[in-house]
Amino acid sequence: MHPREGWTEDRRAGGLSRRSFLRQGAAAGLLAAGAGSLLPGCSSGTTTTTSGAHATGGIPLPRPNNPVTWPLSKDNPAIKSGLAPEQNATLRLFNWVAYINPDCLKAFGKKYNCKVEVTTFQNMDAALAKLRSGQLNFDVFFPTVDVMAQLVYGKLIQPLNHSYIPNITQAWPDFTNPFYDGKWQYTVPYTIYTTGIAWRKDHVNENPYTMANPWAMPWQAKHKNRVAILDDARESISLGLMKNGIFNLNTTNPNQITAAGKAIQDLARLTNVHVDNNDYTEVPSGQIWIHHAWSGDIAAAPSYMPKGVNVDVVGYWFPPDGRGPVGNDTITVLRGAPNPVLAHLFLNYMLDLNNVLTNISFNGYMQPVNGVTPQRLVKEQILPPSLMSTVVLPSYFRRGVMELQIPVATNALWEQAWLQAKST
Amino acid sequence: MAPGQEHVGPGRRNRQKEAHRLFWAALAAPGIIWLALLFIVPFYAILAIAGGQLDLFGVPVAVWNPLHWSSANFSAAWHDVAGSSAFVGPIIGRTLVYVALASLISLLIAYPVAYFVARFAGRRKALFLVLLIAPFWISYMMRMLAWIDLLQANGYVNKALSLLHLISQPVNWLGGLGITVVFGLVYGYIPYLILVLYAGLDRIDPALIEAGRDLGLGRVRTFVHVTLPLSRQAILTGMLITMLPMLGDYFTNQLLSGTSGTTMFGNVIDDQLSSSGGVLQGEGAVFSMLFLLVLVAPMIYYVVATNRSSQGAA
Repeated sequence: MHPREGWTEDRRAGGLSRRSFLRQGAAAGLLAAGAGSLLPGCSSGTTTTTSGAHATGGIPLPRPNNPVTWPLSKDNPAIKSGLAPEQNATLRLFNWVAYINPDCLKAFGKKYNCKVEVTTFQNMDAALAKLRSGQLNFDVFFPTVDVMAQLVYGKLIQPLNHSYIPNITQAWPDFTNPFYDGKWQYTVPYTIYTTGIAWRKDHVNENPYTMANPWAMPWQAKHKNRVAILDDARESISLGLMKNGIFNLNTTNPNQITAAGKAIQDLARLTNVHVDNNDYTEVPSGQIWIHHAWSGDIAAAPSYMPKGVNVDVVGYWFPPDGRGPVGNDTITVLRGAPNPVLAHLFLNYMLDLNNVLTNISFNGYMQPVNGVTPQRLVKEQILPPSLMSTVVLPSYFRRGVMELQIPVATNALWEQAWLQAKST
Repeated sequence: MAPGQEHVGPGRRNRQKEAHRLFWAALAAPGIIWLALLFIVPFYAILAIAGGQLDLFGVPVAVWNPLHWSSANFSAAWHDVAGSSAFVGPIIGRTLVYVALASLISLLIAYPVAYFVARFAGRRKALFLVLLIAPFWISYMMRMLAWIDLLQANGYVNKALSLLHLISQPVNWLGGLGITVVFGLVYGYIPYLILVLYAGLDRIDPALIEAGRDLGLGRVRTFVHVTLPLSRQAILTGMLITMLPMLGDYFTNQLLSGTSGTTMFGNVIDDQLSSSGGVLQGEGAVFSMLFLLVLVAPMIYYVVATNRSSQGAA
């Protein structure tokens, strides 16, 4: 799941991202690209996990308590050290819509004498399908952490040569050996975010910071037609789970999943709940008063406030103790990238504090780099003081809960529960 | 036989007829092949997904050999319709109500417009036609997005209604109201209906209407007994052209409401197709296929009615 899921170039989240029925071709492409290495046992390397959490077919499921170091293979080596960057080249990025500051791209192009082009996708499934087709020649890709197995076993990304990325020392320590990619062999961190509750203080009297169970805040009939949840199975069923007091957001327990789905159905009956990802516009405009929301979207609220309305009326709650949904994206270099050296340098560039601040000022989403603190973001006028709660802290990745890859059969349960909740 | 006319024997005449038939068949062939490719191949692809399986990552894999098809997706779809956890029934009912209402409103608006253009627009007929076609120049999505702005609490719709003293408080049009979805459907599809009705009404021989008047019928009775029966086929065609896409529409509801209380059947299929990892795509393929088969019924009725009408005219 991702905050930019379904975004189109006009920055509206719509339902246009229908996936093609030609997925069977994509799956075949994966098999072809993997050259028979879809099963870990067939790969030339070995996958290291500390315990035995596996999806169907022996594919490991990375967890904070079950870190995974993905295998390396001889036919997909990292580039050699000490290579000169490609000259007069065009670095091609494959990214979410409106998810990187064009100023960063211009500055990088100027520094390394190259052009930078961005091609966008609307959801991770569509992006993977395109990559598996083997018809595209992008250099850099911005995946979520839950598709690492597909990327590695499908040999869609290449291992990183760390000598080109000295700025990794600027990243938070948790991301220099993340559980989803031990020894950061394939990824560097990109954006980080939390999922919480946004509300309009001028219309809603309740304050989630004083509520016994703030996750239950949307369940209020008196705000009928003014309540919205995110249009995403994992996020919204997770909301139902947390409302029910369950914080294992990767649960495989059918009863818990069903109960969470029923909680969302109750919410629908109670409030005629909206289901959309337009938290960044609907809360500032006042159309919605309580919105299940992503931190980065609400951090961008100042850009969407109507004239004469102060941004202070928008609030964002995330558990102060950090025990809530957190997530992060990554940046990778694609296998067969035409400009692998430039791609590595780009990863390095996007870990530099100044570039990170420039980027955050554009898309609202933080990056886990030392120096990115609430105080700094306020001082740089990237964030209003009233929305400091949207800032993600390093401790959140130790106390928080992440929505990670789950077994296929469990995923079907989550999706079915969500479908029924949406159709109540 | 006239002087100079060549004698043509029965054998040659038959050969000429055969060549004539083949010529027209050859002309039609590209279109028929194209339609077959666009209908049969996608339909079979849907079947292959519906009877297919999931790979290790949950990605649907089509199974092309019918002997290897799985019934899992069909069974799951059946449980959604009639099982203990069935939830699709009320959505189908809601979809039918919305579409019936939207079609009726569309007809009530479109018919007078088309009638005016066909009968009374005179030299400005072309201008009116261009104006009718103009909405097609803008994409459906953009038109719906425009309505989001118009229907905001402080949007022009509420301002206009307040100005006319029709409302005292701004109406939350985007708050999940069924009526907003119905009007969205009307707005989105009405140009199709107007054009079809115009084409039908324009073809009515004015002499028939004049004959009705000459025989002593008033304006209303002439309309009821002459114009309306003669435009029945156009009404049927127009309604079919608008109702079929309305039944599968998911976008209007998604943009103008987005609440579970107004979910239409198209939204269910859309959600299944866009499920994370594609785990529900197979079930979505079953629903898509069943939906297609259900929609074939009115198409058959249309073909039968058209044939009857043609025979009646002959």
